[in-house]
Amino acid sequence: MSNKDFRSFLAAIESSGDLVTIDEKVDWDQELSGIGRLSCEQDGPAFVFTNVKDYSPDWRVATNPIATWRRLAVGLNLPADIPLRELYQTYADREGTMIPPVVVDDGPCKEVKIFGDDVNLFDLPVPMVHDGDGGRYLGTWDLVVSKDINSDWVNWGMYRFMIHNERILTGYPRPTSHLGKMLLDGYVPLGKAMPIAIVVGADIPSHIAAAATFRIAGNEAELAGGLGGHAIELVRCETSDLYVPASAEIVIEAEIFPDRIAQEGPYGEYPGYRSGEMGNSLCAKVTAITRRRDPILTLDTTGFKDSSATTTSISGAIAIKRRLEKHGVPVVDVYIPPEGGVHLAVVSVRKGGAEIAQQVVEILTARRALMSKIIIVDDDVDVFNMSAVIHAFATKCHPDRGTHIHRYEGRANALTPAYSLKERVSHSGATVAFDATWPPEWPTETTPIRATLDSMYSPEIQKLVTERYRLLGL
Amino acid sequence: MADEYETFVRDSTRVLSGRECVLTLRDLTPGRSKYRGVNVRGVVSRPPRASEPILWIRSVVGLKDPQPCSIKIVEELPETFEGAPYSDYFSALERAEG
Repeated sequence: MSNKDFRSFLAAIESSGDLVTIDEKVDWDQELSGIGRLSCEQDGPAFVFTNVKDYSPDWRVATNPIATWRRLAVGLNLPADIPLRELYQTYADREGTMIPPVVVDDGPCKEVKIFGDDVNLFDLPVPMVHDGDGGRYLGTWDLVVSKDINSDWVNWGMYRFMIHNERILTGYPRPTSHLGKMLLDGYVPLGKAMPIAIVVGADIPSHIAAAATFRIAGNEAELAGGLGGHAIELVRCETSDLYVPASAEIVIEAEIFPDRIAQEGPYGEYPGYRSGEMGNSLCAKVTAITRRRDPILTLDTTGFKDSSATTTSISGAIAIKRRLEKHGVPVVDVYIPPEGGVHLAVVSVRKGGAEIAQQVVEILTARRALMSKIIIVDDDVDVFNMSAVIHAFATKCHPDRGTHIHRYEGRANALTPAYSLKERVSHSGATVAFDATWPPEWPTETTPIRATLDSMYSPEIQKLVTERYRLLGL
Repeated sequence: MADEYETFVRDSTRVLSGRECVLTLRDLTPGRSKYRGVNVRGVVSRPPRASEPILWIRSVVGLKDPQPCSIKIVEELPETFEGAPYSDYFSALERAEG
């Protein structure tokens, strides 16, 4: 089973030809992450580094676990070459089946325990991910556990955390994130520190669940169980009543200050830019570190086509589809292409037009607005085929009446590179829907017909052509 | 004290005014603790003074100013600043200047 823990996943992607191990000495200061970065840009393999400069061979570092659809599929215990539409459908099916976690007394993440003043974050081979980042980022491919102060709601999220000094971390879960909401609505008004646990190197479904677009008060541990097909084993933290995946490589237990801050960022992020979003973050003090004896530190070399290009894309697309269905939009498929840095969604509908486009953009920006561009196409366009999508966008979207802009304040994505510094700081922004559907009021007898095999040829000719292609081996 | 630091600024004129200012330095000494953060009160000089550690200034997107500075560290400050989560860090620096 490739999703039992992180090590079984590494073994599985090694078998599928999607992992390269580097035993030569590699510098944690940019060199290691540069190797991972280029691989993302080339849809290349994941890496494991066994010899990290300045650190003992007990430590290994793994980069970009599931930055390709192949590795995401393996992480869900599926064949690496599963067709993308089938992968989406499988994810959607499993997302609907929650499997509650089970609590265990002990686990591999407890093999070594370090407390209080003995904690030194520089004892971990945390890479400097990009030249010019504000510091070394420990939380890139992580899972951050937090608990609502007023209810039983436990949140798992994937958020960035930077090392400030031996025990202080700064981080940027967005203020509109579930963790940000718990902190600002619950702990800060009471002046109480908020316990968190930063989990590094858990099983892949747990990380996918943490990164997923999921409902407020939803239980990501149950979602992880559903995605992986088995209950996640959880073990209690040492310094709080939070529970973490027992199979994890490393767990950083900390408390977020309700009244203290420090420098965080800037950081090269998933949209593929370092956007100057530094200066509005949170700050935490580490209370304990527990880990395996020979831990593997995981790293997402964030930027263009990092792991969010698959994780956030697939869960985000399915969440968008469900939300549009709930509001009565005749949606057929939704796709978030990895190349779009989780800023572009493609939505196909049974019936389009201006009214639908306006409805879509308003629904998808109601609470927090992560997508800044939405392309709406008719359902004869396969959203997973970007050639077909670009063709529809370029030819069917009217430059004037096909553009629907919706502006908002206070909930824009501060990481959107197109926004000015002022807009990023104030979370002001806009989303545009490009209506690439035929206006429903156009009569069919004058609506243009697409000059493709599936539209401008009879079914008999289509059959003859495809059979000929088959015989030719094309 | 290290030989070389970097700092991130929203407005470089504030730190290059010749007056005492509060800023966070990142220690660039090679080794396991490279990029450790320390909050200080200091005076930044450009061109750099030979007797002081080198300081490189970076912008809020991490762009490095190619002209080096130096810093005279007057006082090391607590590891964090007063401020609510998500409040503006640069404003906290100015408040700490008093």
